[in-house]
Amino acid sequence: MATIRIPFGPQHPALEEPINFTFEVEEERVVSVGLRLGYIHRGIEKLAESRTYLQNVYLAERICGICAFAHTTCYTQAVEELFGIEVPERAKFIRTIVAEMERIQNHYLWLGLTAKEMGFETLFMYAWRDRETMLEVVELISGKRVNYGLNTIGGVRRDISNAMIEGIEAKLDELEERAEYYKRICTKEQTILKRTVGVGILRRREAVSLCAVGPTARASGIPRDVRSDDRYAAYGEVPFKAVTYSGCDVASRILVRIDEILVSIEIIRYALKNLPIGPLNVKVPRRVPEGEAISLVEAPRGEDLHYVRSDGSDKPARLKVRAPTLANLPSLCKMLINVNIADIPVVIAGIDPCIACAERVTMIDVKSKKRRVWSGRELRRYALEWYQER
Amino acid sequence: MSVHSQIRKMLGKDALEVSSPRKERLFIRIAREKLRKTIKKLIQLEGHSHLSTITGVDTGTDIDLIYHLSHSDALISMSVRTPKEDLTVPTIVDLVPGATLYEREVHDLLGVIFKGNPDLSPLLLPDLWPDDIHPLRKEWTLERISEKMRGK
Repeated sequence: MATIRIPFGPQHPALEEPINFTFEVEEERVVSVGLRLGYIHRGIEKLAESRTYLQNVYLAERICGICAFAHTTCYTQAVEELFGIEVPERAKFIRTIVAEMERIQNHYLWLGLTAKEMGFETLFMYAWRDRETMLEVVELISGKRVNYGLNTIGGVRRDISNAMIEGIEAKLDELEERAEYYKRICTKEQTILKRTVGVGILRRREAVSLCAVGPTARASGIPRDVRSDDRYAAYGEVPFKAVTYSGCDVASRILVRIDEILVSIEIIRYALKNLPIGPLNVKVPRRVPEGEAISLVEAPRGEDLHYVRSDGSDKPARLKVRAPTLANLPSLCKMLINVNIADIPVVIAGIDPCIACAERVTMIDVKSKKRRVWSGRELRRYALEWYQER
Repeated sequence: MSVHSQIRKMLGKDALEVSSPRKERLFIRIAREKLRKTIKKLIQLEGHSHLSTITGVDTGTDIDLIYHLSHSDALISMSVRTPKEDLTVPTIVDLVPGATLYEREVHDLLGVIFKGNPDLSPLLLPDLWPDDIHPLRKEWTLERISEKMRGK
């Protein structure tokens, strides 16, 4: 049988993390997957070595547009541990609240994108409209929709006032109702079930050996969640449970995220009700001790790790960042084996990478060496037509 | 028995340095020759399931490789030191398949050779990037990289 090689990606200027896959396919089935990154490698780790600890907060904020707050939380926690400072309780609660708001907006964004990959444009529009509700709240608190500029070494820079809390609670009720509605849709709607149940399988033991993180791991039945495993910020004081599903497919990845929206809403409600009174941040010592520290954070896409090493100067000797998407790429390659070409977009969307990176597709027939170039849009159209014919 | 004392006992003299700034963190330094043996032991620990990443640090004369292994009780950071003149360390991808991309990343940015890794092709650096520039090394300052890339 002729094997066809399909390079998929790499570039899209609109979103971060462009990526290139090379698929080998036999008829409609993917038989192997190759991976190439680096199209937007910005050298942030190198750059961090030439900036002060405080300047790096703003650099860390720009690692990712969607989970910016997770990165600054992770970075500032590592630096705070290195400096030996304890963040005030109120700041820890505000970090928890905003982190969960970021998760909610990310999951709505993701739900919309996944719906779009399935050709379900109405759900895409609905989910993105609801994401706006969350962004308005974040804007109310921080003044910005993305890159909130809220974290600083030693605490947070802005407060959540009592006047804001009432407005936030009303919005949370709205978002909760919507999430429950999406859960009903995603468990009953035939078009969604046909495109997601049994698609992109990642078994539990595969997820373990490939070191999957976040909702991807939890949809394969692994209860791994940094919020409960390595309790940071106020997660030690807020009751909640990590969401797991055992379907190991795209359908489970959808349900994990919708349930996480509901859990996040509960966490925010609890944290707002129990918000401690006190200062927002503490003074940072002028001298930086030598040493190393590691911080873990459950970003919306999974475990985020920052490692900082200090040589006693005002700039870090090393800042290492491992964002969750990198950890999930080996699992993604595994999920893609044996799927239909038509299911590639929805499986890639399933781990929540930056899907728009898959901007264009080149198809190469290995035997004739003929090359066809497809855009992401053409691949999606091909996928939708293929499903209509079935 | 806490995971700390369990690991100290298990590794015995193989652990050259052990420190624990707080109970959720454990730093261990071992000799390069003991890398695979120690990883094998650590991944068999009850509650362990996950390699978070591999961090490479340029210390000037050596490269430190830190393997961050999440345990249900603590994050274990096991490091090996390898001199810049001989940057070969054994691969662990056969023991931990999830390490594939992390080894490729460290290979790209710091030039460490993971012996036995079947694919150390560039992951992050461009196709035409010169073989001798490892951008995260301290001797390669941003200015020097920029000059070299412009052919000065």
